Amino acid sequence: MKYAIACFASALVLTQSAYAQQTPPPPGPPRPFQLPVPTTITLDNGVQATFVDFGVVPKVSVAISVRTGAINEGDKLWLSDIAGELLKEGTTTHTAEQLSDIAAEMGGEIGVGVGDDETSLSMDVLSEFGDDAVALLAEVLTQPKLPESELPRLRQNYLRSLSVALTQPQSIAGAAFAEALYPNHPYGKGFPTPEQLQSYTIDDVRSYYENNFGAKRTHVYVAGKFDHAQMEKAIRDKLGSWRAGPAVLDLPPPPAPAGSTHLIDRPGAPQSTIRVGLRVIDPAAPDFMALSVANTLLGGSLTSRITMNLREAKGWAYSPGSGLATHYRQAVWSENADVKAASTGPAITEIFKEVSLLRKEVPTGPELTAVKNYRNGIFVLSNATRGGLIGQLGFVNLQGLPADWLTTFVERLYAVTPEQVTAAVQKHLDPAKMSVVVLGDLKTVRPQLEAVEPLRKSLPRKPSRAASK
Amino acid sequence: MQPTARRNSRATRFGATAIATWAATLLAACSSPQVDEAVPAPAPATPTAPAPKGALNVPIEYYKLGNGLRVVLSEDHSVPVATVGVYYNIGFRIEPKERTGFAHLFEHLMFQGSQNLAKGQFFKLVQGLGGQLNGSTRFDYTNYYESFPSNAVETMLWAEADRMHSLDLTQDNLVNQQGVVKEEVKVNVLNQPYGGFPWLQLPQVANTNWYNAHNFYGDLQHIDAATLEEARTFFNTYYTPSNAVLVVAGDFDQAQVRSWIDKYFAAIPARQAPPIPDISEPAQTAEKHAKQIDALAPRPALAVGYHVPERWTPEHFAFGLIDEILLQGEASRLHRDLVQKRGYTSGVSGGINLLGNMFNYHGPMLWSASLVHDPATTEAQIMAAFDENIERIRTEPVTQEEIDRARRKIRSELYDLVGSSSRVGLVDLLATFALFDNDPDRLNRIEGEFAKVTPELILQTAQQYLRPENRTVLIVEAGKPEAGAAK
Repeated sequence: MKYAIACFASALVLTQSAYAQQTPPPPGPPRPFQLPVPTTITLDNGVQATFVDFGVVPKVSVAISVRTGAINEGDKLWLSDIAGELLKEGTTTHTAEQLSDIAAEMGGEIGVGVGDDETSLSMDVLSEFGDDAVALLAEVLTQPKLPESELPRLRQNYLRSLSVALTQPQSIAGAAFAEALYPNHPYGKGFPTPEQLQSYTIDDVRSYYENNFGAKRTHVYVAGKFDHAQMEKAIRDKLGSWRAGPAVLDLPPPPAPAGSTHLIDRPGAPQSTIRVGLRVIDPAAPDFMALSVANTLLGGSLTSRITMNLREAKGWAYSPGSGLATHYRQAVWSENADVKAASTGPAITEIFKEVSLLRKEVPTGPELTAVKNYRNGIFVLSNATRGGLIGQLGFVNLQGLPADWLTTFVERLYAVTPEQVTAAVQKHLDPAKMSVVVLGDLKTVRPQLEAVEPLRKSLPRKPSRAASK
Repeated sequence: MQPTARRNSRATRFGATAIATWAATLLAACSSPQVDEAVPAPAPATPTAPAPKGALNVPIEYYKLGNGLRVVLSEDHSVPVATVGVYYNIGFRIEPKERTGFAHLFEHLMFQGSQNLAKGQFFKLVQGLGGQLNGSTRFDYTNYYESFPSNAVETMLWAEADRMHSLDLTQDNLVNQQGVVKEEVKVNVLNQPYGGFPWLQLPQVANTNWYNAHNFYGDLQHIDAATLEEARTFFNTYYTPSNAVLVVAGDFDQAQVRSWIDKYFAAIPARQAPPIPDISEPAQTAEKHAKQIDALAPRPALAVGYHVPERWTPEHFAFGLIDEILLQGEASRLHRDLVQKRGYTSGVSGGINLLGNMFNYHGPMLWSASLVHDPATTEAQIMAAFDENIERIRTEPVTQEEIDRARRKIRSELYDLVGSSSRVGLVDLLATFALFDNDPDRLNRIEGEFAKVTPELILQTAQQYLRPENRTVLIVEAGKPEAGAAK
């Protein structure tokens, strides 16, 4: 230790003598980033396929997205998830083991992801196996066995996941918040009951599959290094004669309810898990870009106002953050934070304070420019991977955005003015309309919330139950 | 609106937990499989034939500045982004004994200001130029990195040099980050079911040397007790040029970057690199068994950990393939058996080095497998099934087909290391091979080393390391079983 202290003293001297105050060297001129140009084909039965040549390494990603998910499961919560898992349990020609062996031979694995609006099957393989990956995914998609024998095991997995989710503060708070914003709509339905999961039969799964999977809802994405003609041929051969199936279900949620406050007790919790926010505009709306920039400035990055406040000034939270979470033609703005229990009320006060300040005062030019640069950097980074490109193209297609949405993104980003940012916040982020969820030790937290001006009147008398259904 | 835990969560080799400065990041830290050097292994006897050439051929320039800073450059102009990483040879393993969690707390302080950048300005400088940044603390290093549009390389080098040269530590900032770090521990561990399982808990019960067996995230009281003077001493001891590696990867001009590195880093005074304490782990001679209660968990969990062979030995690569064949992905044996056939769990996760991969550490390490199960499935049932698989790999040679498949997967993952736009995984391997082995070119030899592994070596390695005497079984009891838990 003595050695180290001595070192420190000498270093300090050197530091002071040799190091005059400096300013950071400025960046050079930006280097151009060309977005690769996608091409799209439509097969006779309605399947669409988009191809993007990208990258230098010999790999290709294939994703098949089908417009079905929680929105299509009615009252049978998580049935779409179970159906998604069951797709991997064998086809009319291959067992589950064979499927995973064949995928591993290509250097990949079959992934199935189920969301509220979409179900996606994907593989990421060595380029030489691109057309084989299309064939394998198409087989899983169009000829699944949906074996009854595997249903009890998968059901048991979901029962276990459910029990774990019901002890995780973030999933409990997230489900309560969704329910507050989308009551009586699939977007707001969080957890099934164990009894519900127990009741699903193989016929439920099979009729869900029959009623919701088909060519008209299907879009294939191919990104990476691949032989275009070969991949197109594989897609036409393997998916061209699939049944057309149903059109996309249009089930818009009813208008947003008034803001509400929900308290969930977690006795002894050292932190409170907070959700504050509301439904906002459609991602296709003209001022969505301004709102999105406002979100980045307000809470959507490490250097955002709310994060710098709660974390760097107060030390109340590790990773608070806001975001715009989207569904088909829907978006929700929310600030999510896990904060020190003793600072729960003050943290919510600070969140409202920062929103109100941006509603009142136009941000400065330099602050806004930094936010735009940051967003531009993320845009480049996230479009410079196969998975990132597929994600962006999928978002454009799901939301029905113009074909040039990606290529004009940077131009539209830099066109946002400080006044437009404040206007978007005034119009769309009204604290009086926001819903609030607080999950924490209510014995100590509730008195704090009674001191938060906008919450005082709306505090429920009784805590909500953790499981919403 | 998707509840976060809706699907069965399964860790992948790309998703290792990290103790990081900032949780919300777009950048996936990744790399490939992993093994380690816990058990004092017999000298690798296999005479080494020249490794077959792998598919990877990353350009690597490696040199050293006068003050001892090692520099790795890897140029690639495929996309106009670059990544800078600075790796210090100080992990949580060797932090001060009365200050658990100190290495990680200090990582936070590196973002709190320097002589030329006030608090908050480092974040703002990087993000304002379009960059992503983070830092993390691992077993044997602490790293800092930025991925950004490539016109900002000089600025990023300046900023990293600035804090290496003249970090400005203040009492206010220390107190602020003590608060932040305590909230980090709460959100990731104390208020989370299975929060420390098994990544924090298993090393503590499987190892005996304090350096390998303490709470790396830190006791909250220890975090509170840290002083400014201790932070200064820590900085001056470990954050020296000769104890660090700088990596620049991506779109840049090499001659220009070399001149910037000379300009900004060469002036940092040389200081002697600190001594590293003895972190060796005595050979384990009997099976260990530990039982803990997780007050927040609704269902029991189980983890098994084995000490692994010394890093970058033939046995280490053999163990990497064992990990792939037993544990990684849906085609792996343990998934087939415990998940698909027996339905004991939704997934078995694990690997070598739960805070990284089989290459980015420098000391004793564990391979582990863990799962959450139902109360109706007993520990004995799970262990019997697990042991069946272990016994099989110890007695029956794996097929060439299985080895080929595992290698192909590794090749596929190595390509992604290079093809990723953030290059965080690439930078990580270059940096750690330079830091621990003085040989970043090892990156290009990984595939060749895997290619040399034979079914016989896998068998021998499994026999030697996958013994009960070399393992620890950790049981987590559910402290919060739900009413009417499924049978």
